Amino acid sequence: MRRLPSFPRLRFPARLIPALCALACLVVSLPLEARVKLAALPERERVELRLDHGHYTLVEEERIVPLLASNAKNGNNRVDFSWSNTSIDKDSILFRPLAIRENGKFRAIESEEGRSEVEVVNVSYPPGENAVVWEVYSKKAAAVQVRVSYLIHNLGRSFSYRAQANAGETELSLAAYLHLTNYSGEDFENAAVSAGFGPDFKKDVENQNRIRMLLERFPKVPIRKTFTFDWYSNGPLNANEPFASPIALHYVLENDKDSGLGAFPLQPGKARIFVADGRGGEAFIGEDIAPLTPLDGTAKLFLGQSRDVVCRRTIEKNDRRVIRGNLFDQEIVIKYEIENFRDKPCTLDILEQLNRVAAQYARPAQGDVEWKLGATTSEALRITYPEGQATPKLSVDLPARRRGEDADSQKLVVRFHFTLKNLW
Amino acid sequence: MHQPRIRERAALVALFACLAVSVVTPVASAKNVDLVTLPDREGTELTIYNAEDLTLVRERRSVTLRKGENRLQFSWAGTLIDPTSVELRPLEKQNQVEIIDTVFPGQKPQHLIWNVQSEFDGSCLVEVCYFTSGLTWRMDYTAIANPDETKMDFRGFVRVYNNSGEEYENATVRLIVGKIQLVEKIAELARRSGLQTVPKADDDRYRRLKNRAAAKVFSAAAEAARDSAGASEPSGAKKIVKEGVSEYFMFTVKGNETIRNGWSKRMNAITALDAKFDIVYRLRDYQYGVRPQRFFIWRNDTEHELGDSPLPNGQVRVLRKTAADGLRYLGQQTLHYVPIDAEIEVNLGVDDLVVYERRNLDTARDNFLFHGNNYVSGWDEHRRAVHEIRNYRDKPIRIEVRLQYAGDVEFESEIPVKSFDYRTIEATFEVPSRGAEKFPHRVTIHQGSAKKQDRVRISGN
Repeated sequence: MRRLPSFPRLRFPARLIPALCALACLVVSLPLEARVKLAALPERERVELRLDHGHYTLVEEERIVPLLASNAKNGNNRVDFSWSNTSIDKDSILFRPLAIRENGKFRAIESEEGRSEVEVVNVSYPPGENAVVWEVYSKKAAAVQVRVSYLIHNLGRSFSYRAQANAGETELSLAAYLHLTNYSGEDFENAAVSAGFGPDFKKDVENQNRIRMLLERFPKVPIRKTFTFDWYSNGPLNANEPFASPIALHYVLENDKDSGLGAFPLQPGKARIFVADGRGGEAFIGEDIAPLTPLDGTAKLFLGQSRDVVCRRTIEKNDRRVIRGNLFDQEIVIKYEIENFRDKPCTLDILEQLNRVAAQYARPAQGDVEWKLGATTSEALRITYPEGQATPKLSVDLPARRRGEDADSQKLVVRFHFTLKNLW
Repeated sequence: MHQPRIRERAALVALFACLAVSVVTPVASAKNVDLVTLPDREGTELTIYNAEDLTLVRERRSVTLRKGENRLQFSWAGTLIDPTSVELRPLEKQNQVEIIDTVFPGQKPQHLIWNVQSEFDGSCLVEVCYFTSGLTWRMDYTAIANPDETKMDFRGFVRVYNNSGEEYENATVRLIVGKIQLVEKIAELARRSGLQTVPKADDDRYRRLKNRAAAKVFSAAAEAARDSAGASEPSGAKKIVKEGVSEYFMFTVKGNETIRNGWSKRMNAITALDAKFDIVYRLRDYQYGVRPQRFFIWRNDTEHELGDSPLPNGQVRVLRKTAADGLRYLGQQTLHYVPIDAEIEVNLGVDDLVVYERRNLDTARDNFLFHGNNYVSGWDEHRRAVHEIRNYRDKPIRIEVRLQYAGDVEFESEIPVKSFDYRTIEATFEVPSRGAEKFPHRVTIHQGSAKKQDRVRISGN
């Protein structure tokens, strides 16, 4: 049985600052007495930070490693990779030979009878150390281009957006930013940075630095501004207005080509929203965490509440009709008194959660409530079911305020009449 | 002659930040060799939000750029700037100037570097904008009714508070009315992003940092303020321009304001003289308690000498003039945001000169239902009651009464009533001066297993 030789491992660096990984290539010969140590440290030819994954960052670095021919006398090459003061996922480290230099040029590594010219035979993990040792077979002595890949901790990405709406709030100018935060303990000089979409960047990513990069700018993204009344989600407006509820404001945009977007899925991130003030300046009108919006998906940015649209909701009718025994129907009319104090028309979307209506005024339904629209429902209400039949959306168009006219006459009153069926 | 105050001049004017914009050589090896230049500031605009501790600062400066890569350095030691909000953008030659990236070096807290690519050598007007906290504003109102309580003088005041640690000179101030949606508080962002390494506010080092920053960075602005101080004429009350932006309203204080650190400044923003109003009493047990409340009600419209802006949240104090030119305090409450054309209601609380009294005259039970043969499971309960409203004032009053019932209820009255909602009846009374009105009614409540509904049904109207 042959003993593996003990050989000195060079560690680069010994400390944090000089480099993340000490890639020491030790080409050693077997048996022990024939060991040849090659102490040359190959320069990093290239380093790439791949930020595609939301939680893990992949570092890929390329080096040119001189290898000796593996034979019975010398054995295989052993390549030692160690690090300190940085958090590398040891199990994730890969060593991949890419090409062989021949006549000053690199060519692809070839295989013969199922065996590659250069290949990793095994990898060893020294106990108690941040190091791995690859045993590498090489058919002949050559300089080999290798790529070392690993997952690194404390080097991450995030996204943010700056959106500026035009004064009419029909279009957004949207800038998407990539934020790179490096607390890994390692400096990466001239690193290629890729989020997996958008442009690639070349940056000096020093330890403890945060870098904000413009990922993409989308100049004219059409938006819809929506006003939503949802009693069960938002509750009463305040003690003085127990029947009114906050009107939620959103900008809605589509992540598709028609909207000038659709370049990549919009990643979650804080979106700060400004609006042109019509005098060349702008005003900040709110911020929201933009959700992950896939291609062709819809993003809703919450802007806060509109206080110039007021909707008061009262239960006008609440009658029970016994069918037999404890089986009954419940007839309900909800009245909405709506005032638009804005000088622009808008559409108010009223969300009714009928399962919760049933639970409050009749009895919790067995599953989703069964219901039927009543005859006195106002024609001004357009009813759709984007969230399912038990959560109808009632849309009503509100004309602009006519200044100087009687305020009460401009109050719009609509009714939603329905019967909750077969409750017990 | 008014002597310039050196301390004020040295203080920060429009920016509480310590702003140092420096142009440094683009060579990597010379990163820390800064050729510091302090570009002139062309102006500062503060947009202050009242619902959050949030101020948007926009300032214009001229920076000198070299053709090629430039590194502009910006720092804000000892302030509450949110670093994630700091932005630089060229206001001219936009297609020749590109902001490549923004680097926040970990070794230097409260410090950033913009890498800027320029296609030319020369000066460029840029805008630096960022969020900070420390400046706030709020609204308050005074309503003074005439002795007859038929008309009032209504005034609204904006009050800007400067607790930022710095002084603001010659800043244009814009005040945003409306509740802004924020994901994170600006002060928290400022603390999280580097301020943990900054000394505490009562630390000498902190004060030195601030003073040095103030003297260094705002010397130009202080100079400008000093230059203009002698030439400016005293002005009257500042006119406040009001305009709508999206769902918000913006008050712009014309001209430039100076607000010293720790001080606040109150300015008249809304005035309505001789505005008429109504007095209404309301009885709503479920909302206000068992006694009638007295309301002053009018509208935020031109008919009431208002209507050019919404009324932001604020405390309103109501007084009444007395015959001897004195004033009498009537009450106060928080006024919630009032849109243009919407009704303004001020609740002055209970009025001892208006009494609402309830008496049950009779109770009877019948229509019993039994569970088995011996146990009552349901019945009808009949109540006969009279409510009396007495007005001891020397003017007639109007009172709106809402009575809310739970359960299966039949309501009957000779006085006209209507449903407010499925369980609430509503009636309105005019009560003469020093007179009384009665509200007799009968209520039948179906109890126990006799209860078939959950609503009030009006009958006999």
